[in-house]
Amino acid sequence: MKKDLEHKFVTELEDNQNIVHKVCSLYTNNRDAHNDLFQEITIQLWKAYPKFRGESKFSTWMYRVALNTAITLYRKSKKQVRTQDYNDFIYKIKSDDYDETQEQQLKLMYDALKHLGDIDKALVFLYLEDKDYGEISDTLGISEVNARVKMNRIKKKLRTIVNP
Amino acid sequence: MDELELLKKDWQKKEGMMPKLSYDEIYSMIWKKSSSIVKWIFIISIIEFILPHLLYLLPSVREDMGFYEQLGVKNLMIGISVFNYIVVFYFIFQFYKRYREISVLENARDLMRRIIRTRRTVKHYIIFALSLFLFSFLAIASVIYFSDGEHLITVLNLDDEAKDLSPGRLKALISFVFIIVGILFTALIGLIYFLIYGLLIRKLGRNYNELKRLEI
Repeated sequence: MKKDLEHKFVTELEDNQNIVHKVCSLYTNNRDAHNDLFQEITIQLWKAYPKFRGESKFSTWMYRVALNTAITLYRKSKKQVRTQDYNDFIYKIKSDDYDETQEQQLKLMYDALKHLGDIDKALVFLYLEDKDYGEISDTLGISEVNARVKMNRIKKKLRTIVNP
Repeated sequence: MDELELLKKDWQKKEGMMPKLSYDEIYSMIWKKSSSIVKWIFIISIIEFILPHLLYLLPSVREDMGFYEQLGVKNLMIGISVFNYIVVFYFIFQFYKRYREISVLENARDLMRRIIRTRRTVKHYIIFALSLFLFSFLAIASVIYFSDGEHLITVLNLDDEAKDLSPGRLKALISFVFIIVGILFTALIGLIYFLIYGLLIRKLGRNYNELKRLEI
């Protein structure tokens, strides 16, 4: 019975691990920290899994637990070496898809993304994942109107960074 | 094209470039120990609850009871202890109840609020413990000040030292020392406690305030 649960959980997480990786790439700066956060999110997901009743999709449920872990529960471990040399995969931009201006714009926006506060990051992350404002406000515990207002402010901020 | 739409499209294309962990790698992770802030708060709070009470197990502190008896404040000290334990158990009960209510499945704001509330119970406990500690010192100081000087000299074994001082001045001096030591101790322990408290809750408080600011 327990083995079944383990198997089901690990399989579902394996299929949906992209969500967790994307959260980690946004909230950490190097490979060690990325893996550390991934592990903590996995532990939290597994601890909460018995309460997951399948009312929503597994992936929907993961967004909340992953973001809660990244924003609130996660404590950076002191052992990590704070190197910046790890060439983060979110910066890798395939040049053949974009012209030079677009490439530059993307780079600037990813840089700006990294410097946002924890809450702003969560908002942008959910927006980039194509979540509607209802889901964004549900996940963060703010009203839909405020989520919209805040998102518009961040959009404006990102635009000024790209077009100074 | 809108810059943000560009970002969104690119972001969604990143899927394929994310690392991929195997079934076994993920399986091994679910048995690792969590190092979440909630776990740290739980451990440190329990230590903070227990630590002051461990002091009573030290022989020198236990012998103090004899000293209090001679001073005539034994009943007062026993009263303070009983009151202390009742309140401490109330705080531990509150703490545990709030700790159990923390769930990663809540929205971010409620999760943070519950963690902060749990830790706030510990803060109130600390304020209570420190006040009681200071009160005990002040109570002893005033008992000494209003006690019989000759008796005090025998209780404290101060025959030699007391030769040059009148009992009145001696009483004043000793109660003054008690007050100063009491204040210094309280301040020191308070400083240590609130330093730990602040460090534990700093990031959490910052994010919570940011979310709260959105609601204005």
